[in-house]
Amino acid sequence: MSAPVITVRGLTMGFGDHVVMRDLNFDIHAGEVFVILGGSGCGKSTLLKHMVGLYKPMAGGITVAGMAMDPDDDGAYRRILARIGVMYQGGALFSSMTLGENVALPITEYSGLRGRAVDDLVRLKLRQVGLEGFEHHLPEELSGGMRKRAAIARALALNPEILFLDEPSAGLDPISSAGLDALILRLNRTLGTTFVVVTHELSSILTIASRVVMLDAASKSIIAQGDPHELKEKSAHPFVRQFFNRQPGMEG
Amino acid sequence: MKNTANLDISIGSDALTLTLRGALNLQSVPEILDRLEHVPRPLPQRIRVDLGGVTRMDDCGALVIMELRRLAEASGVGLEMERTPDHVRELLDFLRLDSPPAPGPIRRIRPDLLTRFGEKTMHVVDQAASHVAFVGETTTTLASLLVRPGRLRLGDTVSYMQRVGVDALPIVGLISFLLGLIMAFMSAVQLQQFGANIYVASLVALAMVRELGPIMTAIIVAGRSGSAFAAEIGTMKVSEEVDALITMGFKPAMFLVAPKVIASVLVVPLLTVFSNLFAIAGGLVIGVGTLNLTLNAYMAQTMSTLSIFDINWGIFKSAIFAVLISTVGCFKGYRVRGGAASVGQATTSAVVTSIFLVILTDSVLAVILRYWRP
Repeated sequence: MSAPVITVRGLTMGFGDHVVMRDLNFDIHAGEVFVILGGSGCGKSTLLKHMVGLYKPMAGGITVAGMAMDPDDDGAYRRILARIGVMYQGGALFSSMTLGENVALPITEYSGLRGRAVDDLVRLKLRQVGLEGFEHHLPEELSGGMRKRAAIARALALNPEILFLDEPSAGLDPISSAGLDALILRLNRTLGTTFVVVTHELSSILTIASRVVMLDAASKSIIAQGDPHELKEKSAHPFVRQFFNRQPGMEG
Repeated sequence: MKNTANLDISIGSDALTLTLRGALNLQSVPEILDRLEHVPRPLPQRIRVDLGGVTRMDDCGALVIMELRRLAEASGVGLEMERTPDHVRELLDFLRLDSPPAPGPIRRIRPDLLTRFGEKTMHVVDQAASHVAFVGETTTTLASLLVRPGRLRLGDTVSYMQRVGVDALPIVGLISFLLGLIMAFMSAVQLQQFGANIYVASLVALAMVRELGPIMTAIIVAGRSGSAFAAEIGTMKVSEEVDALITMGFKPAMFLVAPKVIASVLVVPLLTVFSNLFAIAGGLVIGVGTLNLTLNAYMAQTMSTLSIFDINWGIFKSAIFAVLISTVGCFKGYRVRGGAASVGQATTSAVVTSIFLVILTDSVLAVILRYWRP
């Protein structure tokens, strides 16, 4: 397997005195579609925000693309940011800009493309998420699912090496959701983009994930990691079995 | 990643041959596009593109193909793509480049003057109509509270009284104290020439209690709390919290507006009283400190100048200002559509509108007072 692009070592995260997860250790390798699983409120999004440097760990450390994640070191943090893209749970589109302007913003700021090429590229990005023709719409004029897809287009704008997606398919209809899975796999296969995805969508997990970690709020730790199909078939852990097989009658 | 692609251009008599090699991505494509722009014209009969050496290509690379097609089309020459690797073909299929995306800028086109004038007019009319509706709803809600006061959310009201009144006391006190100080100081320069030092006390007391106390307090409350009301309700609109209230069967006017209005009406007059006291204290510091007035003389002059009516009138005005500021703040919050920028506009508009209405109302009341008690 190729070298890890993200390493998480002894990561303890929390707010104030409240510890969310304790001593997490895992690697994410280049070219993987790595999925973070777990029950609602167990700290999946918090983990994602630690990996992109928005939150500081209570203990332990994270490296991204071979560099230690330290938002206080401005130079190193910018070098990391140049190689990652992030899609937030609620989309986080800038409400005062049209969809086209939202997607164009990183392209005009950080690439050498100018003029018509930017317009073309923005339309190609929106086409890939099925939103062609909506470039002049404001985010408020769109449904939640459409906003989410637009946010993915914005995260894709610079074709980053690592893409972090927080619940990309929540709120999408099954067809859009399948389209999104296909897009993720395509980018992963052709460009070698590494994906770190937080999702609950079981069908999506089984389609896209090359590896998963499952977080557990009760033990504040990782309860399973590995290939999702294997976990589904073989895991002995009751929570994991319940998650993958949706057996009723067990406490989460 | 470095720029790892290159483009060879060779011009023959019948064909322009372009050979692309390496990885076509965001790093390499801008330069290639730039070179394509500077291909010497007129073009020969055909453009031949050799893609055999392309190792990797992403959607930025597709821009090169789109640009080549445009080039060929614009000059009316044929375009042949040769040795297209499978991965490129697959990408072009995936991006459906056979039907290229619509041309034109993606930036918003500013509508012409007439359209904007029309939109603005419609906006004003719409705003006026919804203002009437809002005032009506707020009035009926407040009236219904007279019948059934128990429906008021008491906890919220007390918390707003704290935020609008108690928390504003230090700044209102400080500003009023300084205002009294400055008034006394400035007027003393003139009045001293006539030996009329004692009237500094009258001037400060009357000006503050009748006019400046209520107005200064109103302006501070508009800046502190009117803006906060607009931002709070505006953000609740954006995050669908107001919708949630409605579908849970709560009336937003009762839930959100009434506590703010009632709290403001109760505490803003009190703030005004404090403002008056602090201003008089400020004047007193100057009067006693620099004008050789005694404490007793200053206080006696202040008392004899002010009538109970003046004090009540100032308090009455500030109660009216409180209603204006709180309803305007809530109304502007209600009008928020969209996102963060809209909340900002609502906040600005709440402060500007409240201050304008406060001054306007004050002028009207001054005229009424003039004819009522000449």
